[in-house]
Amino acid sequence: MTEISQATVEQAVKTTCATVLRNEFYFSDLDGLAGDGDFGTSLATGYRIIDAEFDSLDKSNIGAFLLKISMLVSKHVGGSSGPIWGTGFMRAAMLSKGKESLTLADLTDMLGSAIEGIQARGGAKLGDKTLLDALIPVHEKMKEHVAAGTADLGVVLKDAADEAEKAIDATRTLVAHRGRASQVGERSSGTPDPGIVSIAIILQDWCKQFGVDRTPSVAEVINQPA
Amino acid sequence: MKKFVNDPAKFVPEFMKGIVLANPGLLEFNEEFQMIKRKDAPNNARVSIVQGSGSGHEPAHVMAVGPGMLDGSCQGAVFAAPPVDACYETIKALASDAGVLVLVNNYQGDRMAWDMATEMAQAEGINVKQFHINDDVAVEDSLYTVGRRGVAGNFFVIKACGAAAAAGKSLDEVYAVAEKVNNSVRTMGVALTSCIPPAKGTTIFQIGDDEMEVGVGIHGEPGRRRDTIKPADVIVDELFDAVAQDIPFVSGDRVALMINGLGGTPISELYVLYARAHERAEQAGFTVVRNYVGEYCTSLEMAGASLTLLKLDGELETLLDAPAEVAVRIF
Repeated sequence: MTEISQATVEQAVKTTCATVLRNEFYFSDLDGLAGDGDFGTSLATGYRIIDAEFDSLDKSNIGAFLLKISMLVSKHVGGSSGPIWGTGFMRAAMLSKGKESLTLADLTDMLGSAIEGIQARGGAKLGDKTLLDALIPVHEKMKEHVAAGTADLGVVLKDAADEAEKAIDATRTLVAHRGRASQVGERSSGTPDPGIVSIAIILQDWCKQFGVDRTPSVAEVINQPA
Repeated sequence: MKKFVNDPAKFVPEFMKGIVLANPGLLEFNEEFQMIKRKDAPNNARVSIVQGSGSGHEPAHVMAVGPGMLDGSCQGAVFAAPPVDACYETIKALASDAGVLVLVNNYQGDRMAWDMATEMAQAEGINVKQFHINDDVAVEDSLYTVGRRGVAGNFFVIKACGAAAAAGKSLDEVYAVAEKVNNSVRTMGVALTSCIPPAKGTTIFQIGDDEMEVGVGIHGEPGRRRDTIKPADVIVDELFDAVAQDIPFVSGDRVALMINGLGGTPISELYVLYARAHERAEQAGFTVVRNYVGEYCTSLEMAGASLTLLKLDGELETLLDAPAEVAVRIF
């Protein structure tokens, strides 16, 4: 079974910092269509600090590293995104405590626990037009690969990016039931959810970082700033 | 703005430093996490009681640290929940074999921070439980809450839990005390003026010279309605009725009665309010066993007050009677 090294986990977080910082205004513009337009800035405020402190973060093992990320995200990402994303990292950290590498099954369990934590924290469920609508199908796809014993992690990553991208279109016409966009009710229909778009773009950037050949097909991912 | 401030950004750590310097035998200060704890805590023989919330409500919550009260408290910026890492470090610093009880006032920001911190501490094997306080009858949901807000009734939850912990009760028993107090305590407040967070430099809401906000929250959140100011007795009557009818309190009840100042109202005015509230309690057939007049949970320099009633029983009377010591004292 192919292992995911601690260096890979660290690189994925580092890449995510770059993604979030490059898309700061783009994410906020997407949020402004139905929400309060602060999503990109809120996220970037936290990731800018992670990026700046990256070299000095605790890297004694994957769990310790992700717990530190959780703390920084919770503390510095504004609005409801802080506790929600921070909870995701915290749950992932708990299941990787003391580990220096992960199997695909480990990573899949970490995402599953993160999803449970995010649901408990924010009260959203599948179909509420939140980032869970991207994370849950990604998790399902990962579970399929674990069951099938897929050895090529590049295939798994590409499939995960496909699922997240599909979620953008699958939820586009839905009305948001959670978060700020829920307050405009029907007006949120027809606009993509910025949380879902952010997951799709992060996964697309991971594909690029880890040498997985993938061409995005949904406008919001194609149009992200270079 | 005219305030005693050096650097508005350092307002919170500076006042915390003052509290600790004034109580050197009792308290210690962790500046990084804006936490004050009892020097002699944790003690593995008893449950630690912990709280942490936005600043600006002093003496709640950080000046309520001391024997028979809180074991530790961390402070956020004025009217902002403390960050998750501070909450987590506070639980860790007070971790006791007997367990930790976190008393959280029911605000979304506080709850999310403490939920995460509690979950992380539990994952480390720390025996910690959380209890949410929501005694404000003014509104069912507010700007910052799903459900009722936690306000001055918080004092009674701290006092009773602190005494229960000092008496060596188990975590489950202390939690049950918190539940009993919260189920038996009700509060409503009124604001005559707004207040100015030092880092903001301007008032948090506008209110006319002849107006009052009935049912105001301790962060200046709207309450039930804006009205023209009335004579003190009329204001007390409205607060008293709203509070007394909520559980409801009934003739024959033994009660604790609190008039809490919101920060900018002189103690003399608070006693004007107390006089009416005491008479109303007697007329309603309540026995006022204990009374509390002063500042317990404030909103910086806001002029205003809240009225709290707590229904007592033998257990709660014993817990309220038990000795305690906090940073605020006049002797």
